[in-house]
Amino acid sequence: MILELIAHELAPIMFISVMGMLLLGYPVAFTLAAGGLLFFWIGVELSVFAPGEINLFWNLIQAHPDRIYGIMYNDTLLAIPFFTFMGIILERSGMAEDLLDTIGQLFGPVRGGLAYAVIIVGALLAATTGVVAASVMAMGLISLPIMMRYGYHRPLAAGTIAASGSLAQIVPPSLVLIVMADQLGRSVGDMYVGALWPAAIMIGLYILYIFGVTLIRPQWAPALPREARTLGDGVWSLVAVLALAVGVHFATYHTIFSGFTYEVRFVWSVTTATVFALGLSLINRQFKLGLLSRLAERVIIVLIPPLALIFLVLGTIFLGIATPTEGGAMGASGALVMALIKRRLNFNVLNEALLATTKLASFVMFILIGARVFGLTFYGVNGDHWIEELLLGLPGGEYGFLIAVTIIVFILGCFLDFFEIAFIMVPLLAPVAEALGIDLVWFGIIIGINLQASFLTPPFGFALFYLRSIAPKQAWLDTVTNKMMPEVKTLEIYRGAVPFIIIQVIVVGLVIAFPQLVTHYKGEKSGIDPNSVTIELPAMGGGALTMPNFGTGTPGNEGGLGLPPLDFGGGSGNNNGGSLGLPPLTFGSDTPAEAPEPAEPDAGPDLSQPPNFN
Amino acid sequence: MMQGAAAKARRIVSRGRSTLGNLLALSRGIDAVTAFIGRRVAWLILVAVLVSAVNASIRKAFDLSSNAWLELQWYLYGAVFLLAAAYTLQKNEHVRIDFISNMLTKRTRDWIDLLGHIFFLLPFTGLILYLSVPWFLKSFHSGEISGSAGGLILWPAKIMVVIGFSLLLAQAFSEIIKRIGVIRGDIAEPYAGHDSPPAVDEAASGYTKGERS
Repeated sequence: MILELIAHELAPIMFISVMGMLLLGYPVAFTLAAGGLLFFWIGVELSVFAPGEINLFWNLIQAHPDRIYGIMYNDTLLAIPFFTFMGIILERSGMAEDLLDTIGQLFGPVRGGLAYAVIIVGALLAATTGVVAASVMAMGLISLPIMMRYGYHRPLAAGTIAASGSLAQIVPPSLVLIVMADQLGRSVGDMYVGALWPAAIMIGLYILYIFGVTLIRPQWAPALPREARTLGDGVWSLVAVLALAVGVHFATYHTIFSGFTYEVRFVWSVTTATVFALGLSLINRQFKLGLLSRLAERVIIVLIPPLALIFLVLGTIFLGIATPTEGGAMGASGALVMALIKRRLNFNVLNEALLATTKLASFVMFILIGARVFGLTFYGVNGDHWIEELLLGLPGGEYGFLIAVTIIVFILGCFLDFFEIAFIMVPLLAPVAEALGIDLVWFGIIIGINLQASFLTPPFGFALFYLRSIAPKQAWLDTVTNKMMPEVKTLEIYRGAVPFIIIQVIVVGLVIAFPQLVTHYKGEKSGIDPNSVTIELPAMGGGALTMPNFGTGTPGNEGGLGLPPLDFGGGSGNNNGGSLGLPPLTFGSDTPAEAPEPAEPDAGPDLSQPPNFN
Repeated sequence: MMQGAAAKARRIVSRGRSTLGNLLALSRGIDAVTAFIGRRVAWLILVAVLVSAVNASIRKAFDLSSNAWLELQWYLYGAVFLLAAAYTLQKNEHVRIDFISNMLTKRTRDWIDLLGHIFFLLPFTGLILYLSVPWFLKSFHSGEISGSAGGLILWPAKIMVVIGFSLLLAQAFSEIIKRIGVIRGDIAEPYAGHDSPPAVDEAASGYTKGERS
């Protein structure tokens, strides 16, 4: 009797128990796996009591090696170590320091200038390194003392640094977007394109906020005094060079390169303009021509490497020249070359960067392995149905669901790392979103922005921890002004973050209200059959169409919890066939819009589209 | 008689000590092996980066594409994350949800770790190892080759699962021994103390190191 009750309610019991086990604080990867195995055993034993609901049997456990192998066989996830490695190398090459010094000088004379510089550098770092820890720490170490020295409101300074550093979560090529694309079964390229406007709006609102502060509380964000501007003035010559560069761009665009296609033309003319500006600055410096002010010269020379890297990574991905994974590899090679030129690369730096990357890759991939062990059981006890019923019962349809998800993810994000949310929650939420007809790229971006907000939310926000770990904990003597500066209080960091959390919430609201901010990605695709990205494509559910994998050598490339190879003794997938969270229409035809790709396709940005139908 | 019992108890304690001493030596041996392997395979990331970058450039420049090179990348990555998992465990880098456990005493956390190693980690790694050996052997004997044209032979990728989980199992035993040692007070805590989450500490230490060099 009681066993029967447990058997019927096994999905909620399993979910709550495993979440409880996670709270013990034992490593997530192994807890998830152990919870999955424990409930696999319970499920098999209880399956007689609820034959229609529990689809577990002993032989199913043999699917595990193939499911682990399926994680290895994943081109998208390969981007994780590449981008991580690139970020660490860039961090060690001192790019953040150079950028902050120079851009701070450029904006210094303006009220709130240092704060603007932090936001802009944060955005540039986000678009290159994509690592929150590195951005927050670099800016906290360099900018925070300077901002405090010249009398910035401390919460404002701390909040700006933490928020700008967390931009790496949402600005492409962020790891969050890669993982989200993998879990949602969408292409990373689409995710990147979709994230552009929300990211730009967010950066714009940050700047607007600082501008508002300078109007209402000018004493909170003073301009740099004259003696602190070591590079002197000379903004006009920078403006002149920029105007010249734009001129070169248009001139070459319409003359030399007019024979090429749009993208190639654009890339080459921009490259020519950039090389022109850089060449001018270098010649000016080398021969001391004095054509440019020192400020203009420095700004151009310092800005070129990050811009070149952004082009190398994002440009090639957007233009369809490279897959996101290759973009990451190109970026990492570029970062290595840059560090080599700056003489910051030696055996130790390289070794440490590789070790840090390896450990991160290992824990991330093992959470994924754990999530899939959990997933085999959870789907076997119809957990996906349970979640779907739970969430589809929410009032308000699509918007009710999105708002509920926003709140859930935001709260979870205060306690969990984004990897855990992405690998445990997103695969459960995605089929529901799909059933409601929600565009999954849009959905992924909404979750991404939420996660970024939770990075800033006290008391567990990671960006706040990062800033806390390097902000002075004791009063110190400032050598320039020769004054004692009080320590940075944790509460000051928390208070500074609040306005930026509000901005994030506004951006989430905007993206929910105006889906076209994201969904324009569909119109901008080049060289891809639009059929391959129709919304109706089953993403997570793709695995339901997969043949059992046992020893066939063509493992499914499912993400996240993935789906068990549902070979319940032949065609007995009674209530499983059409029920894995897919809208029935996806089964209308046996040839889904996307052609079954070979495991390793050879070109085009849709490489990252997991070949779900092999 | 009292004295006899006390002497006997002492003997048992000292025998316990020496058994644990042997076990701790075993644990050090396992740690040395997994650390050696973990630190070496890290370099395969660099190889994968270069292979991927060169492959992309060649493909673009000469319109040449080779599935073997593409597959080599994920062979390398698979080798890295599977073979380094034991090393990552040894360095306590597998993430935890620690906002509750941070409020517990050190002793409670030690026990959670010990029981977690025994009841979560051992069954999981043991089972996967048990399942993956025949799975690998089948692929090895059949000479299975990847489905894509010009693809690589599959068993070298599959054996990574076997080796990776063997190392992880060995590391699990080593962690159990060390945790018992810590609980009994025989050895010092092998992990450094943390005031902030381990990931933050790691990043911070990496950062300050980078600053100095």
